[in-house]
Amino acid sequence: MTTAIEAHGVAKSYGSLVAVENLTFTVEPGEVLGVLGPNGAGKTTAIRVLTTILSPTHGSFSVAGIPHTRPAAIRRAVGVLPESAGYPERQTGEEYLRFHARLFGHSRPSARSVARTLLEDVGLAERATSLIASYSRGMRQRLGIARALVNDPRVVFLDEPTLGLDPAGQRQILGNVRGIASERGAAVLLCSHLLAEVEENCSRVLILNRGHVAAAGTVAEIVRQAAAPRTARLQVAAEHMEHAVAVLTGASGVDDVHRPDGRAGWLKVVFSRAEEGDGQLNLAVRVLLDAGVELRAFELEGARLSDAFLAMTEAD
Amino acid sequence: MTELVETRDRARGERSAPGWLVVLGQELRDLWLGGRGLVLSFAFSLLVGIIAYLVATNTDLNFLEQRESTSLTLQVAVAIGGMLTLLVAADAVSGERERGTLETLLLTPVSRRELATGKLLASLSLWFAAFIITVPYVWFLGNGVGIVDEALVAGLAVGTLVAVFLASLGLLVSCFAGSNRVSLSLSLFVLLALVAPTQLPAGAQQAWAGDLLLRVNPLTAGERYVSKIVVSGHDWSEDLSWLLSPVIGAVVFALAAILVGGRYIRLRGGVSG
Repeated sequence: MTTAIEAHGVAKSYGSLVAVENLTFTVEPGEVLGVLGPNGAGKTTAIRVLTTILSPTHGSFSVAGIPHTRPAAIRRAVGVLPESAGYPERQTGEEYLRFHARLFGHSRPSARSVARTLLEDVGLAERATSLIASYSRGMRQRLGIARALVNDPRVVFLDEPTLGLDPAGQRQILGNVRGIASERGAAVLLCSHLLAEVEENCSRVLILNRGHVAAAGTVAEIVRQAAAPRTARLQVAAEHMEHAVAVLTGASGVDDVHRPDGRAGWLKVVFSRAEEGDGQLNLAVRVLLDAGVELRAFELEGARLSDAFLAMTEAD
Repeated sequence: MTELVETRDRARGERSAPGWLVVLGQELRDLWLGGRGLVLSFAFSLLVGIIAYLVATNTDLNFLEQRESTSLTLQVAVAIGGMLTLLVAADAVSGERERGTLETLLLTPVSRRELATGKLLASLSLWFAAFIITVPYVWFLGNGVGIVDEALVAGLAVGTLVAVFLASLGLLVSCFAGSNRVSLSLSLFVLLALVAPTQLPAGAQQAWAGDLLLRVNPLTAGERYVSKIVVSGHDWSEDLSWLLSPVIGAVVFALAAILVGGRYIRLRGGVSG
């Protein structure tokens, strides 16, 4: 099967200002790739380059197997929800989708049928004939996703699709995103500021910082790559505190054990970086339980995408 | 994907329209069903009605010859009708850019030239509406002296050339302008500059420099041609030299708007996100 997106050293500069540099990655069909980065990291520019709105300064890429030298062919194969896209207020949702379907080559009857099917898919069938001016932000985002699907794309780019939505709206949009990948088999490139959203919905993650790829891989790989601290907090019964410290100090993979100030009954355990965070916590818990220590609570720190993201984007 | 869609539609006997035609259809719907075209046309009909009433009254008082009053009404219609197309075209790209709707258009396989063509043709619809509104006034003013047919043909020909020229100019400005406000202001300024030579004293207009200025300006040259036919009663082929700049202006600016302006239908460079 053709790789959905293949980018090699893609760069985009505006004079001396480098927006994106040496962007290299691949996305497979049916995969959801999360693109993370702080404001100004180059996420939107990267999407605009890959969707042929902007031409790259250096490098090459292909989308759905189509080289970047054929921009019109790429646009036929992709669907895009741009960040903060505007909508014609005086058109109805159905008119808007019909128009875009016709721009992608659908005949009138076919465009009507596609528009109705997509409105149903994104839960807007009942508001199909309402003016877009009366749509809420969440409805507009769902309409935007429907518009991105009028050409049955092989690759879908979504730039901040849940921006400004309430939790229910976010959940609805993310359901649509998962459906695009699982039911349509399209590759999805999802740009977001919301780390939990990316962590839950993306098979792989690309972290951009100041136009560069700071990290790429699965969430677990990125967490491992990051220089994020790997520590755990364990709550044990007060009478077992000394015993717990002694047991953990001698355990394999534990660098340090101490009692954090202000949290009675808690121990802070610092693990050796050479080993997996999750596995180390399991080992520490097992050692304590085997030693007869009453364990009341535990939490692992530094093993989430948010920790890795902050470590990678703040270090620069 | 589009090839698949087109193949499927062909198999059903359904044909997809060219991109410029789809854009034209949508622009016409937005302009006329959205209400903007109707409001502008209503304002135009009020203005032409007032002008026609004033010149008709003056004709009754023998201040204006009937042919002159017909010509004046027609010239006002050409100038204002052209201005309406200019205003709509000046909003065509910069307006979409400001409303955030341009990016989704650029993401379709429709070429930028097709976008420019569709938008240009849609803006011209305002001129044709303005002309239709003008017909009864020209008939009323010119009926007595038997110049209605000549006046309407000359008005339609010159008005169409002027409208193409002005709409193309507006579209070009809109493609390059950083904001909609700049596009509209600059377009109106250019229109005023084009109208300015008509305010020169008669002596200055007859001098070689004044005559050249009137001839190279598509708006003034076109209006002079209308005047030659309607007021002076010349045959349409007698003063074709006055049609030279409207024809050249319309062709050159339309090509520039579609070929050059089309290339500049793009988002302004940004690096956010």
